Amino acid sequence: MSAFLVCAILLILCFAYTFWPTGQLLVQRNKSQLEFLHERKDVVYDNLRDLNFEFRAGKYPEADYNAQRATLEDEAAELLRKIDILAAKDPAAAAALKTSAR
Amino acid sequence: MNPTPAATIDSVLGNFSLLLALVLAGYNLIFGAISLRLIATGARTRVHPVRVLETARRAGIACFLAVTVAAGCLVYASFTGDYTVSYILHHTNNALSGAYKFSALWSGQEGSLLLWAWLLAAYGFALRLAHKRDPLLTGYASTILSAIQVFFLLLLVFEAPPFAIQAGPVATDGFGLNPLLQYAEMVIHPPMLYLGYVGFSVPFAFALGALMMRYPGEKWIRVTRIWTMITWLFLTFGIALGMHWAYNVLGWGGYWGWDPVENASLLPWLSATAFLHSVMMQEKRGMMKSWNIWLIFITFFLSILGTLLTRSGVVSSVHAFAESSIGGWFTAFLVIAIGVCLFTYLLQRSHLYSEHKLESLASRESSFLFNNLLFLGACFAILWGTLFPVISEYVTGSKVTISTPWYDRVVLPIGLGLLFLMGIGPLLPWRSTSLQSVRRNLILPGLATLAVAISMMAFGMKPWADQSSFFSIVAFSVGAGCIVAIFTEFQRGVVVLHKQTGKNYFTSLILLARRNPRRYGGYLVHFGIVVLFIGIAGGAFNQEAEQTMNTGDSVNIGGYKVVYQNMTQDSNDNYQSDFALLDLYKNGKKIASLAPERRLYLATDQPSTIVANHSTLASDLYIIYAGKDSDGQPVIRILLHPLINWIWIGVLIVLLGTALAIVPEYKGALPKAAAKPEGSAA
Amino acid sequence: MMKKIFGKELLRLWMQMCAVCLLVIFAAGAGNSSDRFNDLGHKLMCTCGCSQVLLECNHLGCQSLADMSTQLHTAIANGDTDTVILDAFAAKYGPTVFSTPRGGGFNRMAWIVPPVVILLAALLSALLIRRWRMRDVPAPASAPTPDTDAMRARIRKDTEDFL
Repeated sequence: MSAFLVCAILLILCFAYTFWPTGQLLVQRNKSQLEFLHERKDVVYDNLRDLNFEFRAGKYPEADYNAQRATLEDEAAELLRKIDILAAKDPAAAAALKTSAR
Repeated sequence: MNPTPAATIDSVLGNFSLLLALVLAGYNLIFGAISLRLIATGARTRVHPVRVLETARRAGIACFLAVTVAAGCLVYASFTGDYTVSYILHHTNNALSGAYKFSALWSGQEGSLLLWAWLLAAYGFALRLAHKRDPLLTGYASTILSAIQVFFLLLLVFEAPPFAIQAGPVATDGFGLNPLLQYAEMVIHPPMLYLGYVGFSVPFAFALGALMMRYPGEKWIRVTRIWTMITWLFLTFGIALGMHWAYNVLGWGGYWGWDPVENASLLPWLSATAFLHSVMMQEKRGMMKSWNIWLIFITFFLSILGTLLTRSGVVSSVHAFAESSIGGWFTAFLVIAIGVCLFTYLLQRSHLYSEHKLESLASRESSFLFNNLLFLGACFAILWGTLFPVISEYVTGSKVTISTPWYDRVVLPIGLGLLFLMGIGPLLPWRSTSLQSVRRNLILPGLATLAVAISMMAFGMKPWADQSSFFSIVAFSVGAGCIVAIFTEFQRGVVVLHKQTGKNYFTSLILLARRNPRRYGGYLVHFGIVVLFIGIAGGAFNQEAEQTMNTGDSVNIGGYKVVYQNMTQDSNDNYQSDFALLDLYKNGKKIASLAPERRLYLATDQPSTIVANHSTLASDLYIIYAGKDSDGQPVIRILLHPLINWIWIGVLIVLLGTALAIVPEYKGALPKAAAKPEGSAA
Repeated sequence: MMKKIFGKELLRLWMQMCAVCLLVIFAAGAGNSSDRFNDLGHKLMCTCGCSQVLLECNHLGCQSLADMSTQLHTAIANGDTDTVILDAFAAKYGPTVFSTPRGGGFNRMAWIVPPVVILLAALLSALLIRRWRMRDVPAPASAPTPDTDAMRARIRKDTEDFL
């Protein structure tokens, strides 16, 4: 008898928890183009920082370092340009992103 | 006569909660899938699909509760000695101590599947709780996990019920636990190993989910990577505990026997290691996206395949699981999983286009490529060796054996190749590089390698004499090169930070590790692996002696003198013991008394050896009481294992490094040299 | 151009190193051991059900180990060749008595397949690397505009700190 009681309690507990009405919904915003660009910019920045670090640690000859830095900076510049254009169109979104970024 | 006893509360509740868990996981799967589909198509429905997805998530959490109750019931039954439950009758007895009653949970087929289901639910619980950061991706991952959960719960409900009632009169005592499992390590080894196996479901779910939803951007790979690292940590620990147990308990003096069950644990470990390396290519360079996703899929398949192979009786193993019918279930599950992955991949592969090109063969990128080649090569070779007896029987009709010598010849060279790459890889810079800088970086490690190789040969090692001396000389010398390379990496980083911040070297080292825990944790893992290889290579210097001993007899081995004193006996409710009492001398001084033991377990009537081990960093003196000869005199087997402790030390370093690599990095600005102290930074 | 030469040179270096390693490994495997008993004892499995190499069996008073060692000792004392000895064992216990697959036919596959697969995979990755290196990346189509320098300065300011 007690076994059935415990089973019933477990059943009710699980179903009550599952179907308990929720207040607000966690709807995921779609990632904006701006966020996406920021993500990519962060990766390129990280690569640049890494490059600087490895250069200072003596892993690259000067010429190699300069060439690579130029490539990565071009890549970053391209992204920054796009970001600037988008941010100019939608200043509110850009500001929101800035506060949420590190 | 009462043919089937009345069900006890634990078996009723256990059965019920498993059924309930199945219903909840099924709800999570079906309604999760429907709502995700509706969200993806943007269809308008009466109930908002996100609301349905939320109930699915909660069902997953409730499922964890239900499986926990079921596992609790089995543990309760074990502790209260409820022998109406067949599983409890067969895996415990009254005299068993507490910890082993607990470990009865995973010492048999049904119980270990229940543990698997519970761990999966626990991982799912953690994942579902942390859903706010990325609700949609978590929704996908949660639904995929629930599909795996449904499979294990189906097995538990229909094929391997842990709460099956034993027919006939209720026994007053159980048949006992396999004595080989009555060791402290066996209490933690299986849960750790299962945490590893099961854990791969989580990165798998994230990767498949991200592919299904065409996740925008690359952030998902980060989540996947971190979960893989956590799982890898557990699996590494689990495998190492198994090795340690085999070494200390099985009494054959080895720690790895290339048994199918051991191989099965190594397969996903290898592919996951390959993933942890090549994923860096994706995070840093946006390359190898398809490859990475398949590595994660394969790791998951291998963890399932391992279970399938070892539990279905397809390959024979010395491990304890009986042949059973669950092989068909696992095969079906594996086929479905592969089908789903393949279908999703073909449908969504345009999402995985990589944008970068490889600049040079001498870059870090290409070393990762070779790394992956060797890891998967090792994986394939081990799988081939495990399956070959079956394949051969199928093709030629006669069975063959693939044992240690085969693996030594085929897999060890790959391992040494990996060791070699491990030394070189981190020294190669990312992207293109000139050969000049490569040379400069390689000089010191190269010199170290040569120096060690030459000095070992000067001390009389002949690499051409036999395989094991060749392997050990390569392992020691390449290992030395790796250590120098790793040390140089740390030293360079510290110097740069020291110059930049003006902090002392120690603070710079801490700062370095905090700035990039992943890289320096990774180096620590590499260091641990080198130490481990050195421990393994010590095996080339093993010595062995076996002798029947009378009082006062002695054996000299490796600078030790072992003197036999006499025998003694002891017994308790669980087992009877015979001890051989030995004194150990070094340089004429007594340094220890050792008592290797033979036990006879009363419940199972099985004998077991307890090794006496005099363990130092230089070597283990490993003494086995092998038995008595016809005159009743003890036969003592003595093995000298040089450097073997470095294997366990290496594993600890690996674990430490992995733990460090999981720590999130410190992102604040660096303190400037001759500026304000660190506290003002950030 | 220079990079390509370096790449090829390095590839050759890699291949040479691999070839040397492989040679040494196989030479080592074929090395002659003076201790024939030990050598042959490791080519055989113990038949007691322990799934271990004959000389590694740790069973208490293992009868299989004793019988098989005696047979092996006797055969060696008789001056039989390795092949004769091993064939005698195979005749008595079946082919599973060998610790590794022996002889020709399909059993060769046990040894051939893993290295062949790895070599094929290496070949494939080499082709892949070639394709990657040939891949055209759309070069950033940025002609030096006035803002390029400003942009560079901004990026450097952002990244002068390093990880």
